[in-house]
Amino acid sequence: MAQGKDGDRAREEFLAESQELIETLSRDLLLLDSALKLGHRNPETVNDLFRGVHTLKGLSGMFGFDALGRMSHVLEDLLENLRLGRIEMSQQVLDVLFEGVESFQRLLSEPGDAAACDLESFTERVHSLARAKSATHNVLSDYELDPNMLGVLTEYEEHRLRTNLEQGLTVFRLRVRLALDVIDTALDQLKERVKNFAEIITYLPSMDGGGGDSIEIEMLLATKKPESELRAALNRPEASLSAVLRRRLADPQPSAATKQSPVAQAAAPTAATPSLPVRSDQSLVKRATPDVEVSLRSLTSVVRVDIRKLDHLMNVVGELGTVRAALARLVERLRAGAPHALGSEAHRIHRAFQRHLAEVQDGVLDIRMVPLSQLFDKVAVILRQVAREQRKEVRLVITGAETEVDKLIAEELADPMMHIVRNAVDHGIEPTDLRGQVGKSVAATLTVNAYQKGNHVVIELSDDGRGIDPHVIREAAVRKGLLTEQAAGDLSREELLNVIFMPGFSTARAVTDISGRGVGMDVVKTNITRLGGAVDIESEISVGTKVTITLPITLAIISALLFEVRGRLFAIPLAVVQEALRLPGTALRNVDGREVVTLRGTTLPLCRLAQLFRLQDTRQAAHENFVIVITVGNRRLGLCVERLCGQQDIVIKGLGRSLTQVQGISGATDLGDQQLVLVLDAASIIEEVLLARANPLVLGAAS
Amino acid sequence: MSVGQARARRSDLPSRLARVEETGVREFLAFVLASETYALPLSCVREIMRVPTVTAVPRAPVEVLGIISVRGQVTTLMDLRQKLQVEPAPIGSRTRILLVDQGDEILGLLCDRVLQVHRLSETEVEMASVLGSDASSYVMGIGRPGQRKLEAAREAKRRPAAGDEEILILLDPIALLKRQAYG
Amino acid sequence: MQRVLIIDDSSATRAYIRAALESMSEMQVSEAASGFDALRVLPRERFDLLIVDINMPNINGLELISFIRRSETHRETPLLIISTEASERDRSRAMTLGANGYLAKPFTVEALAAAISGVSKASGEGA
Repeated sequence: MAQGKDGDRAREEFLAESQELIETLSRDLLLLDSALKLGHRNPETVNDLFRGVHTLKGLSGMFGFDALGRMSHVLEDLLENLRLGRIEMSQQVLDVLFEGVESFQRLLSEPGDAAACDLESFTERVHSLARAKSATHNVLSDYELDPNMLGVLTEYEEHRLRTNLEQGLTVFRLRVRLALDVIDTALDQLKERVKNFAEIITYLPSMDGGGGDSIEIEMLLATKKPESELRAALNRPEASLSAVLRRRLADPQPSAATKQSPVAQAAAPTAATPSLPVRSDQSLVKRATPDVEVSLRSLTSVVRVDIRKLDHLMNVVGELGTVRAALARLVERLRAGAPHALGSEAHRIHRAFQRHLAEVQDGVLDIRMVPLSQLFDKVAVILRQVAREQRKEVRLVITGAETEVDKLIAEELADPMMHIVRNAVDHGIEPTDLRGQVGKSVAATLTVNAYQKGNHVVIELSDDGRGIDPHVIREAAVRKGLLTEQAAGDLSREELLNVIFMPGFSTARAVTDISGRGVGMDVVKTNITRLGGAVDIESEISVGTKVTITLPITLAIISALLFEVRGRLFAIPLAVVQEALRLPGTALRNVDGREVVTLRGTTLPLCRLAQLFRLQDTRQAAHENFVIVITVGNRRLGLCVERLCGQQDIVIKGLGRSLTQVQGISGATDLGDQQLVLVLDAASIIEEVLLARANPLVLGAAS
Repeated sequence: MSVGQARARRSDLPSRLARVEETGVREFLAFVLASETYALPLSCVREIMRVPTVTAVPRAPVEVLGIISVRGQVTTLMDLRQKLQVEPAPIGSRTRILLVDQGDEILGLLCDRVLQVHRLSETEVEMASVLGSDASSYVMGIGRPGQRKLEAAREAKRRPAAGDEEILILLDPIALLKRQAYG
Repeated sequence: MQRVLIIDDSSATRAYIRAALESMSEMQVSEAASGFDALRVLPRERFDLLIVDINMPNINGLELISFIRRSETHRETPLLIISTEASERDRSRAMTLGANGYLAKPFTVEALAAAISGVSKASGEGA
């Protein structure tokens, strides 16, 4: 293994590339799964899977991940047999493939964990898959195929050619001259145009015909469509298109020749080689470019970025923000004291700086954003697995997968979402016979919907299962000692549903394969709350259940409202602030021993932060003149504070592991001159205060 | 801590010490806290700094004094006095913060005065063997930086110098900074 | 100074081979991430050694070798292919088309060095 800095870089490349490969493999398997259900074959995807696993195998070997290498080898053999037609695709084969890819993930994350996969039993399962009968007649000998071309086909390409001919498709030879500089995009474009009805078997380059900047490419395509349609779709009148014809039965070539001649001819590659026909028309080159220029613009180049580099950039941008704020204050003083022209110029420069900084900030934040589709793909894999385990049929409908969130949030969401899906299938969805009895469709539907709402992203997971019975919950809670009979009796229907999130409620701790850790609904809630989000649950008996997750779009730079309590400065994200208003002492009322205020006809519960945080100082409550109304999900709370101190963009920094247990604080921010201001966690405060009112006996270590 | 736990802890010490240094010489940073001289292995001390503005964190555990900003990084400041069960005292001009690497986090420890770095050989370190109050669970042993000079003086039948009799209470950073599990 | 071109679509593999080559003496390493990249680079520069992965999408390694052996500049250049044991038939085709040697993945740095000196001798050029 190579040493030193180069070796480190290579290893990092390996980890990143392998992770991407595994994710792509999962997605491809899902494609195959849907295709199989519809009765389609998908040879291109099988080939992609083969190549992916093949690459993974090679990489693992080079970088010392032996278990992963051995596992990939087993899967690679299976995929090779699949793509060469020696094994037929089936649900069983797919199951084995899914299992294999899942073990890849485990083996990549924990290479030392020997228990991560049982290679022997897996290999046995692979070997037990049935083999297909092999064809007896080599159909290739029936066709007029250029032996040179046959000679450079890989075994796989030859198999695809054979299969297509056996299935009665027509094989065409397409010859086109392309400029070398843009050859990738031009070929991609061609592929795009025909991909729905033609399979591209291979590309062959030929330099014959001169022209150092361009090259003639020959492609073999297989399709059911007639030549005219193919020609029209390709939209390249200068290209030559001809079908591969059957040999006339009168003069058959001995089949042995097709094997010998390519080899013999290829050994003398120079003058003797019959060259591919050449189109030396110069105008072809010129005509090729205008088309291609359009497609160049639509091509995206992707760069892999280490998220730590982005975190660092975010920090720097955050620091710049602090500097900018200090600069703003300085400019103000300057304008007050200095000659008008100087002050104006300083102000203008500051405004320009602010504009550009905002752009950089937005730019960096944007880079961190990833579409939720990555996460939803994982959901699809888990759903399939769990549904098969439980022998239930579940249809997955996803909308809004293009909605974006910060990459770190997406990652933290994986485990909670897995668990919610598992719960939905385990408890929510009825067995198929039961569904039939109550008049529901045999296949249940799980809908995942994501959309942006202001500064938040909302993810809704709904099923059309049996719903949650509040009575069952109440009984279970009392039985487990989480609530007394009386307290349980006082809870509203909505509050009962939320009992599911109480620690100790979920007994069935499902161990997810992805994380290997036990997850309960309480952990789901804690994880999401920690991200600054909220989970809500709605349900109707025999209709279904809906879990709604609300999250901030990004964790990093946010706009915040600064305020004072007992002389101390705090911050709260503007995203959760509905409004801030002056509170006349007379508007306060007392309801069931809690302070509330009536706001435009509705009752708003209040919370005195000084009390909640046990802040010292015996000043009277009358000094708390302002109420900041915060809202998360569909809950609202009014925070009583003393002074409002303006808005500012801040970078929230975590408090460090020692302080993760502290409730109500999501982090701290540096306002410049080393002054740290604590940032409140609205979701957690709302939780704490409102839950205390609902279940006074339930709070653990509170107050 | 139970007897069984303490015994296990004791037998762990030699391996812990040995694990870090093969040459048998370790460096310790000595500091004063409430008139006692303590020392921490130098390898875990990242930085020594003056005390900046400390922001208290509401409802934080009792041994957390608050948070400070170290070049933009939010760092938790721990109260060593609370851990070692020593009386609290105000922050003075010589008070310093030791930034100690706990493993997955860097924490700040307040001390009254920072002294110097001592290089102690095996003979100058004596492992803790006494069970006592909780404070002793953080104590790794005793350091006698002047040991060699003392012995040389004894052999030469000279009176030893005052500083050579100094004793350092060696603190175990792992035990000291281990996070409590909160109910 | 040997000028080497690595043609492989896996960035990790290229990085690995590069690291291995640079630990040997006097190597100037270039990379091509696809058959297309290689097609662009090969006519313009002269290389002393080509390392080609057989299993690439679009233009596969065999087609590339055939092309290389028909070109002016690299008709005789030592060419080492990287393959796996799985494609026995493809590997022998590659040798027939003009490759000088092959190396199976995964390979050690030592194996790479041995293979390189092997193909340099085989093609008649100095090692």
